[in-house]
Amino acid sequence: MEGKLSSVAKNFTPSSIQELSQLAQKCNAINLAEGFPDFPAPPCIKEAAVSAINNDFNQYRRVQGICDQLALKMKKTHGLNVNPLTDIAICCGQSEAFAAAIFSIINQGDEVLLFDPCYETYEGCITLAGGIPVYVALEPPQWTLDPEKLMRSFTSRTKAIVLNSPHNPTGKVFSRDELEIIAEGCRRWDCVAITDEVYEYITYDNQKHQTIAKLPGMQERTIITSSLSKTFSVTGWRIGWAIAPASAASAIQNIHIRITDSAPAPFQEAALTALRSPIEYFETLRGEYELKRDFCMKLLGSIGFRIQFKPQGSLFLFAELPKDCLLSDVEYVEELIKQAGVVVVPGRGFFHGNESCNYQKRYIRVAFCKSGATLNAAAQKFGELINAKACPKILY
Amino acid sequence: MQAAECTWTHFEMLRPLCFKSPSTTPLFFNFSKHFQKGFSDSSFFRSNRRISNYPSFMATISSLSTHKDPVSTHDATPNITHQPVQVAKRLEKFKTTIFTQMSMLAIKHGAINLGQGFPNFDGPDFVKEAAIQAIKDGKNQYARGYGVPDFNNAIAARFKKDTGLVIDPEKEVTVTSGCTEAIAATMLGLINPGDEVILFAPFYDSYEATLSMAGAKVKCITLRPPDFAVPIDELKSTISKNTRAILINTPHNPTGKMFTREELNTIASLCIENDVLVFTDEVYDKLAFEMDHISMASLPGMYEQTVTMNSLGKTFSLTGWKIGWAIAPPHLAWGVRQAHSFLTFATSTPMQYAATVALQAPDSYFAELKRDYMAKKAILVQGLKDVGFKVFPSSGTYFVVVDHTPFGLENDIAFCEYLIKEVGVVAIPTSVFYLNPDDGKNLVRFTFCKDEETLRSAVERMKEKLKKK
Repeated sequence: MEGKLSSVAKNFTPSSIQELSQLAQKCNAINLAEGFPDFPAPPCIKEAAVSAINNDFNQYRRVQGICDQLALKMKKTHGLNVNPLTDIAICCGQSEAFAAAIFSIINQGDEVLLFDPCYETYEGCITLAGGIPVYVALEPPQWTLDPEKLMRSFTSRTKAIVLNSPHNPTGKVFSRDELEIIAEGCRRWDCVAITDEVYEYITYDNQKHQTIAKLPGMQERTIITSSLSKTFSVTGWRIGWAIAPASAASAIQNIHIRITDSAPAPFQEAALTALRSPIEYFETLRGEYELKRDFCMKLLGSIGFRIQFKPQGSLFLFAELPKDCLLSDVEYVEELIKQAGVVVVPGRGFFHGNESCNYQKRYIRVAFCKSGATLNAAAQKFGELINAKACPKILY
Repeated sequence: MQAAECTWTHFEMLRPLCFKSPSTTPLFFNFSKHFQKGFSDSSFFRSNRRISNYPSFMATISSLSTHKDPVSTHDATPNITHQPVQVAKRLEKFKTTIFTQMSMLAIKHGAINLGQGFPNFDGPDFVKEAAIQAIKDGKNQYARGYGVPDFNNAIAARFKKDTGLVIDPEKEVTVTSGCTEAIAATMLGLINPGDEVILFAPFYDSYEATLSMAGAKVKCITLRPPDFAVPIDELKSTISKNTRAILINTPHNPTGKMFTREELNTIASLCIENDVLVFTDEVYDKLAFEMDHISMASLPGMYEQTVTMNSLGKTFSLTGWKIGWAIAPPHLAWGVRQAHSFLTFATSTPMQYAATVALQAPDSYFAELKRDYMAKKAILVQGLKDVGFKVFPSSGTYFVVVDHTPFGLENDIAFCEYLIKEVGVVAIPTSVFYLNPDDGKNLVRFTFCKDEETLRSAVERMKEKLKKK
């Protein structure tokens, strides 16, 4: 039976991250690692789900109303005309929308551009579909996009580029100019842009998220993916969507039907309530997360970090280890668990390609989508650490 | 929220494995020749290259809108022609499903829907309440990718009760968004492009589509009326050392056939001899009426090469919750989990908690489920016989397949169209479940997962309006 193992299975190596995970659990560490909230979802949305279950919305269904709401939102927020009958596929989370989008347009050997660092799962999807991921590194410390580097990465085999903005892990929000550069590449090389906009409502300092689809010539070559998860703190509900020109949306819908058949019915109903939230909901969301971001920056500052890139969006702070700290990211995270009882993510998992870049092992990602109690508890732990030792070991 | 359940879910996925460069990882990179016609350059727009391999019945169901035509979007730059996005070659087999089409036609004509296989009654209160409680208790964030621990445990416990097999819930159970995703993850995780896979026709329509996504070479063995028995000789001549896997759906949709112990034993020995994996879809295992359900995995020596798939939806009348699972030995479960992690990443959390409660339901729940369905089946089967159909025996599932030819329509699609428009009842044409549509042209499928009044009304309509020729 050993011979039956797929080549992928044979390449598997145990992850240092999983080992850290076990350590964190053992130490009962405060969790600033995972990108989902530890505070409750909005009550009215939970009530909508409960109501849907009670009212027997429990069989296979596709709730067209979600598409209607999304089309309204696209018009209001981005000025885009989207046909709710033909341009939207409802999926089990942005994860499935992305997977279906990839399967809908990637043939074997197609290249797909990705910005580095990035969320790990994109590569897996692309490879599963027979595509080839090609990374374009954003340059630290500001994670700037080098237009020439980008243009050089396009080849005749490039089929698509993946754009995650606001960005996980850095918190970067791609500017209009940067979107224009990417759009130019897409137009020139006839490529599709596949976007991951799950943090679209989480931007800071009056920054606004913009979708590349609204740039000239882009709507007809962009597949937007997003979900309820981060906006409404319901990452476990699995309600997401893809918005694309009708031929692509239809292909995505058809693939989705074969992958999962439909998204969970009661949560589709609840999505209607969520998507109709008043503007105050989004403003409050943004405001609260901005406070958490600021708190987190101070927190890291207190243990020697100098934050060079302030997150413009998303739920993450991507921080370079203090210059005088000689530890690698993984070592640092381990020490932080042991000494401070707080767990974060080593940054190396987000980087790909050129292994010789030292900075790839010098970042940690901190998630601040946590309750005030959690953040305060972390602050207290850090406080104890600083008070206990004049020069905490972790800084060296 | 328990740290043990939720920690690291997202985090684990950061480096699930190391994907090496294409030159060292042959998996997925050798699409079967079937798809390699005229590999294109990157020219993104192709003039009117549409996925248009619609089967012939599309022409007869002209009143359906299929959303397949691109709608021009208003654009600030009017000189751009909106060519359709060029979609991948693998989509040649992908079209709107027959179920959606029939349902739309049914609504249009006010027909009683005995076509699509989901109940018009709801799931049990104790399961719904468990989901509601989970939502209220804040179980609304990412579950561990391969399943909430309690749910994995419950699946293992249920499997032990049903088959006697003891399995490790941590290593051998993967939770998915319905059995549909379990099948997709199994195909994509364990089938290499070019691998041979054997299917029994008629088959649930997503099997073929997912196999084509995985680039498999499908070999089909047709089950024929009246008893849809496995043609052993044909199987022996089809299976070989080149076969990677065989897919078995028992109890079987659409025929209601249940694979007998004898059939399973024969298949098992052929699989052991030729080193063939078995993928089983057992979603109707609790709707086994005329004989006991048998899991292939429980046959001697078979667990190590079987992926057993199941779901909540049919047993608990909650088809929209999308809770399914795959049980397999660790070396196979691993591949399923990898694919699953890239397809949907995690499965709906509150529903998993509810499913845990559901799987622990007392024997009386399952006994009552069977009794209810047997009563419904009796109404439908007797009714169909009275109307004049030739009804084939169905041992399990909530489907029954009949021969419609006494009514003089030329094929199954024409018959179903007639049935909707002139009689006001929906059935599903079975030709779409075969590789060769002709094999199904005499057969249509009815479902009895409807309340008794609906079934009686449908039977009445047919008695009144459906006349033998």
